[in-house]
Amino acid sequence: MSAATLTPQAGRVTGHGVSFPRTLHSEWIKFTTLRSTWVLLATTVLVMVGIGLLGGWGIATGLDQMESAGQDPAAAGMDSSLLYLMTSGGLDFGQLIIGSLGVLLIASEYSTGMIRSTMTAVPSRLSPLFAKAFVVAVVAAVVGILSSFITYFLLQPILANYGREFGLDVDNLVQSMLLSGVYLAIVALMGLALGSLLRNSAGGIVTLVVLLLVLPIVAQIIPFDWVQDGVMPYLPSNAGRQMVMLETADGDLTQWQGGLVMAAWAAVLLAGAAVTTKARDV
Amino acid sequence: MIEAQGLVKVYGNKPAVQGVSFTVQPGRVTGFLGPNGAGKSTTMRMIMGLDRPTSGDVLVNGKHYAKHRAPLREVGALLDAKAVHTSRSAYNHLRAMAATHSIPTKRVHDVIELTGLGAVAKKRVGGFSLGMGQRLGIAAALLGDPQTIILDEPVNGLDPEGVLWVRNLVKALAAEGRTVFLSSHLMSEMALTADHLIVIGRGRIIADAPIQDILNNRAQRVRVRTDRPDVLTRALAGEGVSVEAREPELLEVSGVPARAIAETALAQQVLVYELTPLQASLEEAYMDLTKDEVEYHSGPVADVHDHAGNAESGRHAAVAAGAGQEGN
Repeated sequence: MSAATLTPQAGRVTGHGVSFPRTLHSEWIKFTTLRSTWVLLATTVLVMVGIGLLGGWGIATGLDQMESAGQDPAAAGMDSSLLYLMTSGGLDFGQLIIGSLGVLLIASEYSTGMIRSTMTAVPSRLSPLFAKAFVVAVVAAVVGILSSFITYFLLQPILANYGREFGLDVDNLVQSMLLSGVYLAIVALMGLALGSLLRNSAGGIVTLVVLLLVLPIVAQIIPFDWVQDGVMPYLPSNAGRQMVMLETADGDLTQWQGGLVMAAWAAVLLAGAAVTTKARDV
Repeated sequence: MIEAQGLVKVYGNKPAVQGVSFTVQPGRVTGFLGPNGAGKSTTMRMIMGLDRPTSGDVLVNGKHYAKHRAPLREVGALLDAKAVHTSRSAYNHLRAMAATHSIPTKRVHDVIELTGLGAVAKKRVGGFSLGMGQRLGIAAALLGDPQTIILDEPVNGLDPEGVLWVRNLVKALAAEGRTVFLSSHLMSEMALTADHLIVIGRGRIIADAPIQDILNNRAQRVRVRTDRPDVLTRALAGEGVSVEAREPELLEVSGVPARAIAETALAQQVLVYELTPLQASLEEAYMDLTKDEVEYHSGPVADVHDHAGNAESGRHAAVAAGAGQEGN
């Protein structure tokens, strides 16, 4: 612990500089060295798989009961395609956890002061934001896809009891399962952007919940056509829901359109986060 | 080398730094001294590019901090001991910082060893004492083996052993030819550590000089013991001279050199049995410099030092108030 153990080469300015891959590596270390990260990710998988399985089991039971009672499930708006959607049935809940993870990833740096270390190490400021975005988006996508496939494979033995198991060759099924990962990635990016804009965990999470859950409900009860046709479909979670559909109805957003609308929300929020990150004092 | 030119920072309507210019030279320890709220931390944050100056400019090693290709290898800074995620371990914090510059893991172990954090490196930073947090901040500052080191209140919360360690560390760093810029509101610590002082008060530079000059600038005080203090006091009275009776036979004279006091005593046939020139303490010099610049004045503490007079004790109380942790 004496000063004599300092490296002797004073004024040495050699060695590697900052680069985006190095910033990415740093953000990856930061992401993986917090226990809360792992807790949230594990919870997301558990919740999504759990809800998917429960939903699938419930629907299969319902279909069975209707048929044995001599009713036509299709007349009640039910058919086996509902079962396919259960592979990503936990998305509504999973998005809240993953979105919160996105908020916390950056808001906790502001609340602890860590952001000053981050911005000192990488003073260009945008690199750490985009590196975080990259890390959290990729992880969210993997978690979403993983959850969908785990749900699918665990669901089949349950559905086999009802003779309703289905294969991965169902039209657009694999696409939907992959896109549920994209859905979570976009939600994570929205959370990250809100956390960066508000610099506050609670505020970021509340705003995200308003965007994803409250606005669609509010919009639903406003009886004007322009709200129903002009606002409702373009809210982030509604548009995102279209993206993971196996097939979309005429007049609704297609999978592509839904995905692009949802991505636009994240892009606008991230752009705002980038501008304020650059402009504001840390 | 740090060069600040006319730095101004205004938060809302409140000016924190008002046109600060200075140069911090390599090869010596430069102290940045000022009361709480004087603008020390704000100035340091502007150096590191965390706060954007309202006007003015500051360069580190010839460039804006953010323009350096490898900033951690140029400048290491401890700006805030709490600039760490509390749920992460010290080791992982340093590893993440190091990764941005591909600094090898060996260097991370080295700075952990150097700062004496070995035993707690794998523990969550949230459980760290203030002193351990400071050590971690210093470890992070040294990570890139930088040419310029900026430390904001580094001895805050350190135990005496830690204070001594920081003092030796910054001296050793300066001796290696590095630029060391160190802020504090503790003049006693600065007197022992710094070679050069930049004194700031209310966002303005009050003094920028070698520490010896700041001490010498102050009126020389002489301690005089005599059995006729009344006669000597009258004989010495004059413009710019102050004579204070400390004890029945002890005077403290300022404004008259020791030799002139002896001559006066001789002329008055007064016996003098002690005549000692007093080295002004940095604390006194600092109080003289900053007496009008303290942002948060305390009320006078009545009758604590009745020999010192009310004005003096009021000033001491202001320092006592300045001894807490810097708020910004």
